[in-house]
Amino acid sequence: MPAVLIPLAQALLSGVLVGGVYGLLSIGFSLAFGVMRIVNFAHGDLVMYGMYVGVVSATFGIDPLVMIPFSFLLMAALGAAQYLLVYKRFVGRATLQQLLAAIGLGLVLQMIAQIVFGADTRSAPSLFSMRFVTIGPLFVSAAQVIACAVAVVATLLVELLLLRTRWGKAVRAVADDIETAGIVGLNAQSINITAFALACGLAGIAGTVMGTYYPTDPSKGLALMPIAIIATTIGGLGSIRGSFLGGVFCGVVQQCTALLWSSALQDVPLYILLLFFIAYRPTGMFGLRTE
Amino acid sequence: MAAALARSAALTRSPALPWTPLRLWPLIPLLLVALLPVLPGINAYILAVTVRALIFIALGQAWNIVAGIGGQLSLGHGVFLGLGCYVAGILFNMLGIPPWFGVPAGMAAAMLVALVMGAMTLRMRGVFFALATVAVSLACDQLARHFVDLTGGDNGLALTFLGTSLWAMQSRSPAPFVYAGLVFVVAFYWITRWILASRFGLEMRAVRDDEVAAAASGVRVFRTKLLGFMISAAMTALAGGLYMQYYQAIDPESAFGLGQAIQLQLPALIGGLGTAAGPILGGALMTVLSEATNWGSTKLGLVGVDILVYGLVLLLVVLWAPGGIAGMLRRR
Repeated sequence: MPAVLIPLAQALLSGVLVGGVYGLLSIGFSLAFGVMRIVNFAHGDLVMYGMYVGVVSATFGIDPLVMIPFSFLLMAALGAAQYLLVYKRFVGRATLQQLLAAIGLGLVLQMIAQIVFGADTRSAPSLFSMRFVTIGPLFVSAAQVIACAVAVVATLLVELLLLRTRWGKAVRAVADDIETAGIVGLNAQSINITAFALACGLAGIAGTVMGTYYPTDPSKGLALMPIAIIATTIGGLGSIRGSFLGGVFCGVVQQCTALLWSSALQDVPLYILLLFFIAYRPTGMFGLRTE
Repeated sequence: MAAALARSAALTRSPALPWTPLRLWPLIPLLLVALLPVLPGINAYILAVTVRALIFIALGQAWNIVAGIGGQLSLGHGVFLGLGCYVAGILFNMLGIPPWFGVPAGMAAAMLVALVMGAMTLRMRGVFFALATVAVSLACDQLARHFVDLTGGDNGLALTFLGTSLWAMQSRSPAPFVYAGLVFVVAFYWITRWILASRFGLEMRAVRDDEVAAAASGVRVFRTKLLGFMISAAMTALAGGLYMQYYQAIDPESAFGLGQAIQLQLPALIGGLGTAAGPILGGALMTVLSEATNWGSTKLGLVGVDILVYGLVLLLVVLWAPGGIAGMLRRR
């Protein structure tokens, strides 16, 4: 490989690894919108709680990666509670009130985290943190490789769940037309709860794996929301694989911008891209539904 | 104009408000605030809180135009607040241009940005607009942090202080700002009343309640939304000018951060979306609440309780009192 291309290849590789996890946190956000038309601004805060699950387990000497199933279940339960308390009444219409309720919920979750864990930055080192893998002239953090692998596996499982199982079929039916789904005998309410819990559980997984290489503080949840928003809009709101690829794309753009321009401005091209997608292609690359 | 307009009008006209016939009582708080600087026993803290409340209310009134009357959830009004502050501040610090010209320049910049943002996103459904406004404010945040020479970067921009001077709109005591803030709030109140009563306001409410029906009734939906957004942006930048002159400083987080964007919505939401009096009631209440929780949380040694209260209030209002205080008064 010519020497000039090495930094670029490095940026692409790290971009894909970071982006895989962005993809995982975006598919949860996308799922909630695709099925229930709920824009969950508090999604990032569940990712943040997932990171704190790792922080807490690391202080007890347990590897954060072991906690992934627990993190999934905890956030799924939290998600189901959120759905029943707040989002239930907004299903099917992403209104101004729904967005505001989600923002309020996000603030409450963030501030509870700040009161419980404190405002300072914490990290959750795992077995793989601080280890590096070299591939020829490139090197990557082992924690990021593991995180990206988990993200890919989780995304594939969700795709399988939605496309191949009876439950997935029911979810898609409810997403398509909630009234007709009720007529043919589906319990839309319980399907929505499980779908929302799954979306939130994915946020938990994303947070826990991300925490192994990325320090957290209570504001990280809100800080991750733009990525989820951009990834899902570019990929297509409601499309699982689109959102995942959108996340990967966001990671790559961030890393390349950091390399070629400035790491402080790494998100600016993404914001501009988002505007152009909203203006000219609001269904994203993979979104099929038009409204 | 058909059913949608009639419905909007019926919703917003409020014959049932218990105090509408008594036109005089709103003058009481007005007089009270106007007399504050000269009343005995009023210390600098109370004056400072009053100015803060008035700025908070004015910003809420500006946001209320686009979100309350127009029904478009802008989470990016921090952009216009920031433009008002930064443009006026940079012109003053670097070129010595006083805010008398700097603030209108900031307003023009805000309207231009609103035009571009709105043209790109307002044709879409509301969710996309809300998401796009988040993106624009975060992009501004990163840009303001990056161009340190112009904006002071992370530390923000502090105005060169010249002492008390009308030319530079600066003052050592908060008293002039009480009057300036009062003028803003009263003017914005009348602008809101005027918009609500005008045909344009009726069209905005029709678009808010049902875009399709409004379009079918001959309302030019996109143009109405865009105009409302630009007016609201200009008002926010104007209130931002007051913010800058009072606080004498601005930084990326307090201009473009999501926390600020959320705070800007609270007065109108709590007081009553789309009403003229709502942001005033809500802003006053939120200021009292925030001072009380700040006092309480310092006693308890907890950080962030005020924002927790903001979030809880936002959640409770949206879930159980979507009409805010004005809505609760009206229902009685």
